[in-house]
Amino acid sequence: METKNNKAKKQNCIEKASWRERYGHWPWYRKYEFVLVSLLVLIGIGFALPRPGLPETLSQWLFIVFYFLLFLIWAGLILTDVEKPNWIKAIGAVLILFLFAWLFYRYSGAQWDKLGYAFFNWKVLSETGSYGSTVTGWAELFQGLLMTLEIAILAAIFGTLLGLLLAVFRSLNDPILNAFIIIWVDFFRAMPIIVLMMIIYYAMPYLNITLSSAVSGILALSLNSSAYISEIFRAGIESIHHNQVEAARSLGLTTMQTMRLVILPQAMRVVMPPLTSNYVAMLKDTAICSSIAIMELLKTAITLQAWKANPTPLVAATIIYLIILLPLARFSTVLENRMKRKGITRTVRRQPKAVEV
Amino acid sequence: MGEERQVMIETVDLHKYFKDHHVLKGINAKVFKGEVVAIIGPSGAGKSTFLRCINRLEEPSSGKILIEGVDITSPRVDINKIRSEIGFVFQSYNLFPHLTAIENIKLAPVHVRKIPEKEAEQRGLELLKKVGLEEKAHAYPDQLSGGQQQRVAIARALAMQPHMVFFDEPTSALDPEMIREVLDVMQNLAAEGMTMIVVSHELGFIRAAASRVLVLADGCIIEEGTPNELFNSPKHPRTKEFLSKIL
Repeated sequence: METKNNKAKKQNCIEKASWRERYGHWPWYRKYEFVLVSLLVLIGIGFALPRPGLPETLSQWLFIVFYFLLFLIWAGLILTDVEKPNWIKAIGAVLILFLFAWLFYRYSGAQWDKLGYAFFNWKVLSETGSYGSTVTGWAELFQGLLMTLEIAILAAIFGTLLGLLLAVFRSLNDPILNAFIIIWVDFFRAMPIIVLMMIIYYAMPYLNITLSSAVSGILALSLNSSAYISEIFRAGIESIHHNQVEAARSLGLTTMQTMRLVILPQAMRVVMPPLTSNYVAMLKDTAICSSIAIMELLKTAITLQAWKANPTPLVAATIIYLIILLPLARFSTVLENRMKRKGITRTVRRQPKAVEV
Repeated sequence: MGEERQVMIETVDLHKYFKDHHVLKGINAKVFKGEVVAIIGPSGAGKSTFLRCINRLEEPSSGKILIEGVDITSPRVDINKIRSEIGFVFQSYNLFPHLTAIENIKLAPVHVRKIPEKEAEQRGLELLKKVGLEEKAHAYPDQLSGGQQQRVAIARALAMQPHMVFFDEPTSALDPEMIREVLDVMQNLAAEGMTMIVVSHELGFIRAAASRVLVLADGCIIEEGTPNELFNSPKHPRTKEFLSKIL
């Protein structure tokens, strides 16, 4: 019984044998003793580093640089080793980052206190905001954020509807219609958003079309994103195999029913990841609206900065942008990965063999 | 009426070109109500093209196609209406992968025939039972084997209560052990008196179910007859050659 168990274990071992066991290669510099001792030595050398502040002599510079390089090699030995457990690699990576930050802090000669006063002076934001305002800077930034989100969401809705419409028309393959759509798409993709926005806001009033700044901003962003989104949808629609269309039409569905019931639901899965990343890009592009004086997040921050003579509001706005955009960007990557996995099972699926006798 | 059988499909001098490639060279054929017509012939003979022309999945280049007396090549005909009366079963099943089996089946009845959802579901389940897949009603196509997918595809075609069903090599994408289950379904359908055109090389099935066999080669019908006549004493040398290859 026991021997059997052992045998099974051995079998298991052979299967899961480490790279090292299979090839018998265990160089001295990969051994844990060396890693530990060399780390201690490196820390010891650290005590001989020059005093804080900008180094004065070349030899001090060289010492610091070589010290960092030695550490880099040490971390590299760990990180390039397939056999080391991940937690050790993580420690190595964190150590090297920490060391870099520490060396920079110690020897760059940066004026940390002034930097903190200029860019991270949060007091500026907790006072009442810009001229004539009764609320704090934070509250103003929050209002700016709401404006940004409003613009982004409306532009996303209009851009998506327009893009979808263009893509569906494109799929009809009508040469004249296609020419119009291609011109539309190329034009709005080539046109810088800021220029488009300025034209709509500053030039169109001369054509007796006067739009409020918010409407101009939303319009410019919608037009721009409609071009990109229509291309995304077109790719999605074209990725659906033609035999789906044939199957639907052979059942008597009309062209539009086929599009609505068969093609678009399938294309949606393909389209979701690039569509999400397009929304992320558009949310960022709302910052351009500050150029036509819409009080969105960036414009609010710029106004506050001017009023307080301090750039902290800009830093705050940056952080707010990041808090909102990072999860969205992550989400689009997750969608894309899920899509890729699905794509693999899709292609593995039994493909009909064209067998003819 | 009476002895004169109703003509379901008639093609008159049907031609089809792909660019300058002449695929169908004047096909004259008639299919009567309740007939099972098998089409055989070497690869590239135009069998599939012929079948696809009849419900205008391919536009015929010239000639007439009469379905139950209506010329469907005329621009005044609503082709969707004609197509809804013709079931079509594809070689590669072509199920809608985003819908379950039952949703695949009821899609067209609900949206084309405007049958209430509940009733369509009921009838869809009956059809699935008929093809022996009632327990797979809520499975997605990629959870089904090839044979099961093809049976669902047949049920989907039947859900429109078509007057005729076309089969375009329904078993040639299937593994050998799954061919039987599909052929059984088709054979039952033939026994019920459904008008069918089948492009297939399943000689066993053709012998058992087909009332007539057309042999297509190079875009022409070179020979036709009952399965027994044709398989036992083929007349045209190309038919002989072809049969000797697949028998």
